[in-house]
Amino acid sequence: MPDIQRRNTALWAGFVLTITALLSQGLYFTRIPGQHIFPWINLALAAVAVILLGMGLVRAFRQPQIYRGKVSGSIATVVSLAVLAFTVSLFVGVRAMPASPGAPRIGQKAPDFTLTDSNGQQVSLAQLLSTPIGTSKPKAALLVFYRGYW
Amino acid sequence: MRGIQKQLSEFEAAGVRPVAISVDTPEESHKLIQKTGYTFPLLSDPHLDVTRRYDLVHHGGGPAGNDIDRPAEFLVDSSGTVRWVNFTEDIRVRARADEMLAAARDIH
Repeated sequence: MPDIQRRNTALWAGFVLTITALLSQGLYFTRIPGQHIFPWINLALAAVAVILLGMGLVRAFRQPQIYRGKVSGSIATVVSLAVLAFTVSLFVGVRAMPASPGAPRIGQKAPDFTLTDSNGQQVSLAQLLSTPIGTSKPKAALLVFYRGYW
Repeated sequence: MRGIQKQLSEFEAAGVRPVAISVDTPEESHKLIQKTGYTFPLLSDPHLDVTRRYDLVHHGGGPAGNDIDRPAEFLVDSSGTVRWVNFTEDIRVRARADEMLAAARDIH
């Protein structure tokens, strides 16, 4: 009978991955290319973390003579699950976007508008598309709809 | 929007005029401009009239459950035709200025 139990690596790897999935959310504040795959990386990390934690717990409880981590592993798993729930809810929350079926598509006319700028001046799309940039006529306007800062 | 500001001279050289639209009032936009140094116009659509016309209302998307704009970008040529569009699926992931510049340079 072994008198030294093995470290329950799966449990701790699961815990580390959980934290990694959480911290990798910080990558959005960088301007690294390929950001559209980040959410899926976050989710994949979280999924692997759950698998590892599960494996670790099963080991700790089925083979306690070999693997450690019954108590510490259970605590780490509960903490991890809370963190992972947050990670996943964030994933769902930030994607809860309307489908915008009526938005203009490529080849369609963009509806004209007149809105007030930060100086109180009225600005129309027609104006944006005709007022020269420097000395030349503009080729296009880039309309950026954003969430605002309220 | 930070990316656009950084590459504003390149957008202008490509003949493109960027403009941003949200529910923020002109006063709030003015504050944002002072904070960030944006030099392109921020337009105010507080009652979502234009946003509705573009079907970009995100019902309950604001912090107090108020209606706001969903992020989206349109490149509109001088005839008023949409030439490129991006509908953000994840609010953390926005169109990159490089991408928009490349699309802008494709317009002749």
